[in-house]
Order: sequence, then structure tokens, then C-alpha cells
Amino acid sequence: MSGTWYIFRREVVQYLTSPLAYTVAFAILVITGFLFVGDLTTALTTRPVNAAVVPSFLAFGMVVFAPILTMRLLAEESREGTLELLLTAPISDTQIVLGKFLGAWFYYTIVLMITFSYQIILLTITRPDLGHAISAYLGIWLYGGATLAVGMIFSALSENQIVAAFLTFATLLLLWFAEYAAQIVGTVELAQIIRQLTLGGHFSSSFGVGIVRLEDIVYYAGIMVVALFIAIRVVESQRWR
Amino acid sequence: MHYEAEHTGNFNDMIEIEKLTKRYGQHVAVDHISFKAKQGEIVGLLGPNGAGKTTTMRMLTTFMPPSEGTAKVAGFDIQQDSFEVRKRVGYLPERIPIYPDMTVWGYIAFWAQLRDVKNMKQVDAILDRVQLLDRRKTLLRNLSKGMRQRLGLAQALVHDPPVVILDEPTIGIDPQQVIEVRDAVRQLGEKHTVLFSTHILSEAEQVCDRVVIINRGKIVAQGTPATLRTQLQPGAHLFVQISGASAETILKLLRTIPGVSDAQPNGNGFSVRTGTKQDVRAEISGRVAGAGYALLEMRPVAMTLEDIFLDIVGREATP
Repeated sequence: MSGTWYIFRREVVQYLTSPLAYTVAFAILVITGFLFVGDLTTALTTRPVNAAVVPSFLAFGMVVFAPILTMRLLAEESREGTLELLLTAPISDTQIVLGKFLGAWFYYTIVLMITFSYQIILLTITRPDLGHAISAYLGIWLYGGATLAVGMIFSALSENQIVAAFLTFATLLLLWFAEYAAQIVGTVELAQIIRQLTLGGHFSSSFGVGIVRLEDIVYYAGIMVVALFIAIRVVESQRWR
Repeated sequence: MHYEAEHTGNFNDMIEIEKLTKRYGQHVAVDHISFKAKQGEIVGLLGPNGAGKTTTMRMLTTFMPPSEGTAKVAGFDIQQDSFEVRKRVGYLPERIPIYPDMTVWGYIAFWAQLRDVKNMKQVDAILDRVQLLDRRKTLLRNLSKGMRQRLGLAQALVHDPPVVILDEPTIGIDPQQVIEVRDAVRQLGEKHTVLFSTHILSEAEQVCDRVVIINRGKIVAQGTPATLRTQLQPGAHLFVQISGASAETILKLLRTIPGVSDAQPNGNGFSVRTGTKQDVRAEISGRVAGAGYALLEMRPVAMTLEDIFLDIVGREATP
């Protein structure tokens, strides 16, 4: 596992020194900050605070942010030629992909944890539903991991970061939008099947409302495993091209 | 670090290639090549662009699998024991791969850790060896091309591998840096087995103990530069300078001399080639004197590796 650790560590350092990563973090924090303040203002007069306001935004936000965070990961290695050195170092293709994915997920986790500070602010002024908040954060953490894993596939497929980002965005948009498509399907059974396949379908009616279900955890873990497996195979295919 | 071949094969043969072949669809990039490199030997892989040098090296570094044939590095099979091979190979690709945002020290330390180097003092030692220690905190994006080349060499050597594979390490750098890299490669031969690809013939002659000439994926000649010169030089090559008649008349005379296979104008004299090792100097001087002309100069011309290379590659190109 040491190979995974060294790759992971390099990726984390790369994120912490990358202007683009800071821009993404800045965008997430500004938008969620406004949403939090807006929700708090509304809560003063009409209803209790929404503990899932940040995670609910990120359910769409990650459709945009995940491509930006992952587009560089393997595409840049391929373009700069460093992938050739990595593939001739005594580490496996799995370690390379896993190290990079964990680096991206760790960075996302840091940003997510910063937004969790809103809940701590709430604690000083009211009694928020922490169970709901933790459930929503757990859900969006897994959801984010799944979107980043999907991004790994396209970063492995293309040397061009823009192409990788666009393909990831298109795929995630489809997975996100399908939840709404399910709402207009006439057949209930078909709608349920579509909803089971979408990223949002396993968040909005479970984690998002404070319910932690094993099937949703398995769904996101499954997406990560399958996406990373595909990314590993794509990296491996570099040897055969 | 000391490595011993743990599998079959000769201990001295650090690289053993047997009928190695690589196909890309219908195109055969490397075609049943076989050669060996002994411990401490610097072997030059010489050939024009597209000859199959990089593909051969990529197979040896386990970057890509062969379509056919086998190869062993330090006694380990490149397919069955690829991890063992990777631990024992230092590789410098043709294009130096860098992470522009990393420092010199961080970059070498990263590759050292991935290759299981425990003692980080080795990073300082190798940076000192390639004269980059004073640049240890410099970001890679700020390094010159020559420095990047030395950095690439440092990453290939940081784990002290018994086999070093260098793909055209002198390409694209200035003449002074070329000399430095060649010196560095020569020094490597004291401790490592080096496989060094180049299309610069004089470089192979200067740096390598042995040369493998590859063209269109096939080995067309191999041996020491001196051996290649002796074995492949089909006959003698003389330079003669004669006065007393027109160039056409002298050329006619030279071409009628028994043993002379070709005579061509060359600067202020003529190049004379013989088809065999037969010494035609006495015959030339006799004929020239007999015709009443003056023989001003006659000297043998040593065939360079370049001549041999162009001759072989030219012959290969002729259908």
C-alpha cells in the first residue's frame, strides 16, 4: 500500500498548491455560505433551519465541481509523460488510480468539513437537527466520492483535460437529471428503476431527509468500485496501445 | 545495493533478449531481435528514427508487453516478474517527464520512495552527482532543458539500479550539455549495465562498449565499434591526390586498376574503394607513374561507424 500512500500524498500536496483547487473551494464556500445565510434568514420567521442545505446544493454542485477536481489527475500524467514512468515503477496500476482517487476525495472531504462549521455556528444560536445534518453530510460525502470516481474514468481516457472534464460533466449531468426524468415517466415501476440508478435518487429521499439506508451506502460504494475498476483497466490499456 | 540474477540465465548477462517482437496490428515495430548486455557494459542501440529503439526499451522497462519472444533483466522475466524487473531498472524516457509544480528534491524523493529507497540521503547524493544539489528547492518548471536532462538521469539512478535504460538522452540539449551527459553515461558503465539509444553515430562510437544497429525493427549488425568496422568494411578505402591530367582521365585510369571497385572525386583528390581487402596501393602508384602523372598523396581512410551505418541502412532500404 506504500505506493498508494506516496501517490495520495503527492496528489494532496498538488491540490493544496493548485490555484484551480482553491478556486473550486472558494466557489463552494461562497455559494454554500450564501445559501446558509439565506436559509438562516428564512428560518427566523417561517420554519426551522434546513440541516441539509449545503449537502442538497452539493448534490448538483458536484456535477460541476467533480469534473474540475478530477480532469487533471490522469490526463496530465499522460500528457506530460510521467504516466510512463509511473507504469514502469514497482507499483501496480491499481495503486496509481487508488492513490489519485483518494487524494481527490480527501481534498473534497476537507472542503466539506469546512462547510460543516456552519452547523457549529448554528449550535451557538439554536438547536439544529444534528442527526439530519450528519446523515446529509455522510450522504454527500459518499455522493462526492462517487462523482470523483466517475471523473477518474474520463481523466484516464483522455490526455486533454478539457475533454475529460466535459465527458465527466455530461455523464454526471445525465445521472443527476435522470432523477427528474423519472418523475415524468408514466410507469411507476420504470420510474423506480430509473431512480434507483441515479446519484440523486439515493440522496434526496434518504440521506437528504435524515435517513441512512444501507442500500444507498452500497449504491455509492458500488459506483466507486465500478468506476475505479474501469479507470484501472483504462490505465492498464496504455500498455497495449 | 547488490543484485544477483535469481532466475535462469547467466549471472553476467544483465539484459537477455531472445526473439523479442512487437506488433501494432499489421505493423511489426520490433521483429525477432536478440542480444545480450553483460554486467557493466554500455550497449548502444543505434538506428534511424522509427527503427524500433524506443519500443524495445519500453518492453524492457515492462511499460508494454512483447507480442512474441522473451527478455530478462537482471535474470527476471519482463512478463512473469515485471515488478522485480522494475525494481532493478532505471529508465529515462526520450521526453523527460516532470511535475512542473514540484521542487527538484521533492521530485527525486517521490521517485525514490516509489522505488522503495529507505535512506533519503540517497536523494542528496544523486542530486550532488548530477550537480543539482544547489537547485534542490527550485521548481521544476524553472529548470533549463539541460538541467531537466540531468534531473531525469537522477530519477533513473536514485534507487541505484543495476540496469539503466536511457532513450536518446542527448537529444535537444546544447553541445556542452551533450558532452556532460556522455561523460555521465560513460561513468555509469563502471557500476551499471547501460542500454543507451541514439541515432547519433559518433555518440555511440564514443560512449558505448558495444553497438547494436537496428533498422526497421530488425538487428542488422552488432559488435564493438572496432569489430563492426573490421567485419563490415567490405574492402579498403583510399584517398589519392594525383596531378598531371583532368579529373575524368584520372578517374578512368583508377577504375581500370585491378581490384578497384569504385573511384569518385573527393575534394581535391579521389576516393578509391576496393571490393576486397586486396592492397592496391603499389598498383595505383605504378599505374600513375607509368602514365606520367604525379602521385601527390595516398592514404587509407578509416571507415567510421557512420559510414558502416549508412552503408547497412542504405542496403536495407534497397529492395
